[in-house]
Order: sequence, then C-alpha cells, then structure tokens
Amino acid sequence: MGTYIKGSNIKLFALIFVALLLLPLIFRNPFFLRIATEALMWIGLAISWDVIGGYTGRVNFGHGAFFGIGAYITAILMMNWGWAFLPTLPVAGFGAGLVAFIIGFPTLRLMGAYFAIAMWSLALAFQQLALLMNITGGPDGMRLPTFLNPEFFFYLMLVMVTGTFVLLWYLMECASFGFKVRSIREDESGAMALGLNPTRIKIQAFVLSAVPAGLIGGIYAYWVSYIDPPSVFGDIITDQAIVMTILGGMGTLIGPAIGAVILFAFKTVFWAYLSDYQVLYLIILGVVIALTVFFLPNGVWGTINSYLDHRKSKKNYSLISL
Amino acid sequence: MAETILKVDAVTKTFGGLHAVENVSFNIDIGEIVGLIGPNGAGKTTLFNVISGYYAPSTGNVYFMGEDVSGQPPYKLAIKGIGRTFQVVKPFPGLSVLDNVVIASLSRHPRRRDAEAHAWEVMKFTGLADRAQILAGSLTLAGRKRLEITKAMALEPSLILLDEVVAGLNPTEADQTIELINKIREQGKTILIVEHIMHVIMNLSDRVVVLNFGSKIAEGKPEDVAHDPAVMKAYLGEEEQ
Repeated sequence: MGTYIKGSNIKLFALIFVALLLLPLIFRNPFFLRIATEALMWIGLAISWDVIGGYTGRVNFGHGAFFGIGAYITAILMMNWGWAFLPTLPVAGFGAGLVAFIIGFPTLRLMGAYFAIAMWSLALAFQQLALLMNITGGPDGMRLPTFLNPEFFFYLMLVMVTGTFVLLWYLMECASFGFKVRSIREDESGAMALGLNPTRIKIQAFVLSAVPAGLIGGIYAYWVSYIDPPSVFGDIITDQAIVMTILGGMGTLIGPAIGAVILFAFKTVFWAYLSDYQVLYLIILGVVIALTVFFLPNGVWGTINSYLDHRKSKKNYSLISL
Repeated sequence: MAETILKVDAVTKTFGGLHAVENVSFNIDIGEIVGLIGPNGAGKTTLFNVISGYYAPSTGNVYFMGEDVSGQPPYKLAIKGIGRTFQVVKPFPGLSVLDNVVIASLSRHPRRRDAEAHAWEVMKFTGLADRAQILAGSLTLAGRKRLEITKAMALEPSLILLDEVVAGLNPTEADQTIELINKIREQGKTILIVEHIMHVIMNLSDRVVVLNFGSKIAEGKPEDVAHDPAVMKAYLGEEEQ
C-alpha cells in the first residue's frame, strides 16, 4: 500500500491479459481450455473472498453461498422463466449482492470466529433451502441447456475475472476505499474516532465481495450445465478460496491469484493421476493451511514482497552511508 | 465573553449499579485548554467516551457548538469536529504511519491524493514526517502517542480531547509533547486534556475540572484548585486528628 499503480505493473497486467487472450488460439485442446477457465474462476473467487477476508479482516466461511445463489438464479431464470443466458448474469450478481447487504447487518457485527461460524451456517442454510424447494429442483438439482463452446466460456470468464481484478485493484490499491477497509481491519473503534462509519464500510466491502462471486456462479451454472445443492453450495468452494488466498497472501490481489493458480494446478494433477486418493485432498488442504500459517504467514506473495522491500531498503541504507 | 464550544450538562453514566460519572456539568470556551484531573477510577476516561460518542450518557446532555449531540455515534461527532486520542493507543498497527494519517485525513479530504498531501502537512507539524514509512505497530510508545495526536489533528477538529498523551513518556519526550500541545493551541484549537502528571496540567491548563468517584468536586484556575481542600482530600486523604 502507499503506491499508486506503477507503469511497470500496468504493463505486466496487460501482458498477462493479452497472453490469456491468445491462449485458446495456441492450445486448441478443449480439456486444456476447461482447466484454464476453471483456474480463472478460482482466481475470481479467491480475490473476491479476499475483499472481505483479507482487506477487511472478516474471515468469511460462507463465500460459497454467494456463488451458489448466482448459479441458482441463472439456472432458475433460464429454465423456469425462459430467459436467455446473458441477461441472467446481472440478476445473479445483484441477487448475491442483495443477500450480502441484508445478512451483513447482523453478521458483520460479529468478530473473528463468530463471523466465520455465522456465515458458515448461513451457507449451510442456503444449501438446505435449495434441497427443499421445488423451484430449485431439490436434491435432483437443475439441468441447463448445454452450450458446448469452450472458447465462449473461457473468454466470458476471462472478461469477468479481469474486470473484477481491475475494479478491485482500483478500489483497494488506488482509491481511498482501500484505506477505509484496512482501518476497519486494524481497529474498528479507532476508525470511528476518525469519522469513518464501520457498519457502512463493512457492508460496502461485503457487497463488493459477494457480487463477483454471484456473477461467477451464474457463468459456472451455464458452463457445467448441471448444478445441485452440494456442487454449488458445498463447503469445498469456500474452503478452496480461503486456502488459495492464505497460501498466496491475504490482503493483496496478486497473492490470491497466485495461490489460486498453484492450488488449482495441484488439484488438477492430483485428481488426474491420484484419483484413488481423493479422500486425501481435504487433508492436504488442511496441511497446506497449517504449513502456510507456520512458515509463510504472509503467503507466497507477501513473502516475495517483503524480501524485495528488504533488498530495496538495504540499497537505500547503502546510499545513505555513502 | 467567549463563546462556549462544549457544554456538559448534568451528565451521568452508569454501568449496571456503578455510577462511573455522576451529574457532572461544565463548559469549555473556544480557544481554552481545560484540564480534567482526578485520582484513578474517578471517571475521566468514561467522561471522555461520553463526550466523543463512544458511550451514550445515561442521563444529561452534551452540547457541541450549541447542538445537542448526546448519544450520537463517534464517527458523526468526529465529522462535526471532535477529535480524540486514546489512553490505550489505537494505531492501525499493520499500516505505515503515513497510511494511518491518510485515513485520518479522509473525512475532510475524500480524494486520496488530497488526503496524502494533507497527511504530510500534519506529520510535519507534529514531527512524525521522518517516520512516515515505518509500520505504526513498530513505533515506540512516544511515537505511538505522537501518532494519536497526529491522527486527531488530521481530522481538523475544533475541539480536541487528549487522553493521557504525556503519561509514560520520559522527560525529554514529555517536554516535546507539551510543546506540541502549545503549538496546537496557537492554531486556535480548543483542548480538553486528561493527565495524571500534575505539572503538565498546571502548566498547560487555563482551567481545571476535578473529578472524584464520578462527581465533580472542584473547578477553577489551576493554582486555586491545587489548594482546594476537597481536592487535597481526594488526592492525599484526610489528616488524622
């Protein structure tokens, strides 16, 4: 924090974006595109989780609820009301944001583990709701029309996640909003003395975190063309987003993106070659969290960053001593 | 006759059966430095929290610039112009000193660029500019107390509440802080200061309010209050016959 976007950063981001744009032209293999699309999806889920979890300091164990709400909104609008796919997306994002806005008022008053528990149970409640209601198809889930165009979903996900990344980068790293949420994370009552309204800032951050998750959920539903309560409301979605963010570095945007790529690559290889040992996957997630907290408390990106800072400040010292 | 900026009118604050502050009234005029003293547990910090909005008064009212502000939340009062420091300092420890002060500047300067420029000005004024890039959590106690004052000043308040900003500092640091408080007064700010160290209060204050067991027992010029029998009794106990 404390720096405006550097020219080199913009160039780097633009380069990555262009490389991703060209990806489908180079790798025509649909399996590969599918993996790339899902990796992008996880980047989006991890960075949106980090808005409330890392920047605002409220660890949300129910982020998957927003993803599931978006997925079900798209599915219901398309299947029950005959909407086309694209118009459902704004509704999916709006629905997730509205839910965050409403439940944020009671839950964001809670601190630490209590917020985590409240959100975890809320996500579970949504899963139960989807199991019970008729409109969601109950335990049978919902089948959407299949649209077999991997390039379309890759580009849609790319645009969505890049847009989210750029917007969050502006708000969190450049605009004053990033300062406000950080002050809430550091000391809420101290922030109040400086004229900041914590409830308002927390709700804004919560909605900002939920909307991208809802949008991504909507895309996911049409992409995989079949959703059921465990697949979109399951704990695993939240858990993975959290592990990715912690592994990469909380309170940054590049960190969760790195964490998402590392963990998702690992998961893909693991499930492809060691599928007999799937039960071990959750245990491995737990071990990754424990090891990261012990050895890389600031995550991969945080560690790289402090190493670079250290070198820079050493250079400055040597300049002064000259 | 100077204009009244803060009027504390018969304020009582109870926690369950405990009367932390009981029926306290006093006024502060614009440009004054008023000292608030009293033995440990006299209710000084509770009264601070009532004035700055952290507690709503159980009964009684607080008027700021003529408006009844009792029970308004701290962030509203901060924007109206009441700045405060905390006895138990509340820096944003994981952020740099600069970022701390930028956040404090945001309510008057919503744009980040303006807030940063303003933060530098205030840090130069309070003498923290050379430590701008340090993490607030790694400052010394003196630095953190200085940061508290800097953040309160960055809010551009008209009334500033200082809660034990000198206590715990070594004599040099204490003198620097007293000098800073005098500089703040020269800017035309009104100051309400809580302090245990008597020579600080006696030197700085135009007027002193003394609390004991939540009630006001004396008010007046520092030299008069120092010789007030009720005050001597509160601090030194009664003489044995």
